[in-house]
Amino acid sequence: MTFKDTVGLALRNLKQAKLRTALTTLGVSIGIASLAGMVSLGVGLQDQVVGRFLQSGVFDSVTVMAPGLLGAPGALIASGGRDGLRGLRGRGQPSENGTPAPKLDDAGLKKISSLENVREVYPIFRIPVEMTLGDFSRPMTVTGVPMSSKSEGAFQTFSYGRFFSSESDRACLLSLNIAKQITEKDPGSLVGKTATLAYAASRGLQPERVNLECRIAGIVERDPGALPIPGAPGGSVIIPLGFAKSIDAEAVTGVESFLRDPSQPKSYNAVTVKVNQAKHTQEVEDRIKQMGYTSFSINDALRGAKNAFIFLDILLSLVGSIALAVSSLGIVNTMVMSILERTREIGIMKAIGASDEHIRRIFLIEASVIGILGGFVGVVIGWTVGRVINFGANVYIQTQGGTPGTLFSLPLWLVGSSIAFSVVVSLIAGSYPAQRASRLDPIQALRHD
Amino acid sequence: MPALVETQNLKKHYQMGDTVVRALDGVSINVEQKEFVALIGTSGSGKSTLLNLIAGLDHPTSGSLRIDGIDIAGMSAEDLSRHRRQNVGIIFQSFNLISTMTALDNVTLSMMFAGVESGSREKRAAELLESTGLAGRLRHRPSQLSGGEQQRVAISRALANRPRLLLADEPTGNLDSRTSHEIMEVLKGLNEREGKSIILVTHDANLASQYARRTIVLMDGAVQTESQK
Repeated sequence: MTFKDTVGLALRNLKQAKLRTALTTLGVSIGIASLAGMVSLGVGLQDQVVGRFLQSGVFDSVTVMAPGLLGAPGALIASGGRDGLRGLRGRGQPSENGTPAPKLDDAGLKKISSLENVREVYPIFRIPVEMTLGDFSRPMTVTGVPMSSKSEGAFQTFSYGRFFSSESDRACLLSLNIAKQITEKDPGSLVGKTATLAYAASRGLQPERVNLECRIAGIVERDPGALPIPGAPGGSVIIPLGFAKSIDAEAVTGVESFLRDPSQPKSYNAVTVKVNQAKHTQEVEDRIKQMGYTSFSINDALRGAKNAFIFLDILLSLVGSIALAVSSLGIVNTMVMSILERTREIGIMKAIGASDEHIRRIFLIEASVIGILGGFVGVVIGWTVGRVINFGANVYIQTQGGTPGTLFSLPLWLVGSSIAFSVVVSLIAGSYPAQRASRLDPIQALRHD
Repeated sequence: MPALVETQNLKKHYQMGDTVVRALDGVSINVEQKEFVALIGTSGSGKSTLLNLIAGLDHPTSGSLRIDGIDIAGMSAEDLSRHRRQNVGIIFQSFNLISTMTALDNVTLSMMFAGVESGSREKRAAELLESTGLAGRLRHRPSQLSGGEQQRVAISRALANRPRLLLADEPTGNLDSRTSHEIMEVLKGLNEREGKSIILVTHDANLASQYARRTIVLMDGAVQTESQK
């Protein structure tokens, strides 16, 4: 008996009891819908949380600090004065293996950028400035960002204006928060205006105040400067990396600028290392640490979040499985009923030469057809319900002033595995009835009415 | 050349409550190739039990049962199903057609289990139904056919896998006398023209003597008399 014949007989049997098949299939599809829906909720929530962070450019970056600055972000913007100086010296130490600590200079940057999976390496410039615009004047921190950050999450939500046009653009970006402090009513009007940035330059022995003009190119919703390294004082002004580099060359950014030997190549306080994909972050971070640098990434936080989501996914799928377990009992019930009804038919089939195996296969195929149909319908139901809840939730989120997102996410792997799982569950549920049908005694079965 | 069917001291006992029912209690018979044998006896004589054993639908308690010299008494369920597919065609009193299938599908079903390819099994089924006088009835369901017609479908089905032995268990029990004779003529024709061996189980001694060349009378699970025509 060929597989095609077996399928043909199974389909014929299912068609004989259309209503029962439809109800059983519906039961399975509700089970699959609840399972797929629950997992898709888990996946969607994970995407919402982890995905947004990934997009924000936090998880694919490693911050490397000069060996003297042991992981204290506050030290990047050293407060100056005697205490600051002592603090720096106190922390200065050779790297763990005893070799002299490598310098975070251009040569070091080159070494780091030659590592595998490193996309980009650029120094972090944070320069204390005083920004003046009309009557508004306050100390802020200038942060340099490369042109490539344009694609990062922080720069996806411009309230007004746009990103810089080039590395050397004499332009700056403000956060909406700062812009509102300058002019509450119409922050958008600031775009195109010119702000004055004043910084202390070390020309000769005395610091000298230098004024620089820059055009406000745009206003972003969230303060991107606040993300990579927390603790930056005041608000931040974002300027192109090239522009920042030219300021940094002569600006007094901290105590170490005073201590710098002009004959030595300039070294950086900290650099940002961008990784190809977030999954390589850990490995790149480890390599950089081996080189003797101090580095940190928010990878650990991501790992914690991922573990939490795995737990959530398991919990949600267990809840979803309850409905599937109930519907698999429905399969058993339907098929046992069907055996009772078809006992005589099974007897006839055996009398004319069907083997136990033939009968068993017919019933197993019937179960898997129910599984396949139930799986497909279940995925469609799950998807539809998810979309409806998504829509409702987003309407609510928007009235609350939030950003709409996808709560339920149904990736292709989930569609495929839901259907596969449905078939597997149906086969398991069908195996007992199939076994029972195949073991029927033909003589008893033929006497059955 | 061994006999087509040869039983020796064949017994079938089963437990019914506290008593052991000796349905067959030591039957030794032979059926040769191309023979038409009738098994007659009252109800409970063991004739249907013997037929079921020969058909491979049941296991004997003891004794040997050879088909073409091969003992099927201790065969596995799998091997017995092959025996049913290849060696025997069974015809029942109550026809035992699948009510939801057309005449054609009922006949092709047995060839499906035997692994005959779909085109050739349909062709053979149509030929068989036409040869038993059912041309034009191929797409009818059992409920749309008369008793005689249903039994013709069942005979076609029994012939489908070209067995040498036909086992007929009261094939005319549900038919009127005119139709009964028609069906018996079909069986007689198969025996005479195509050389099929036939074992006919009936309680009707007249019918047996009229068509079968040898009659075996069973009583209480044992052979009482045997008579050759």
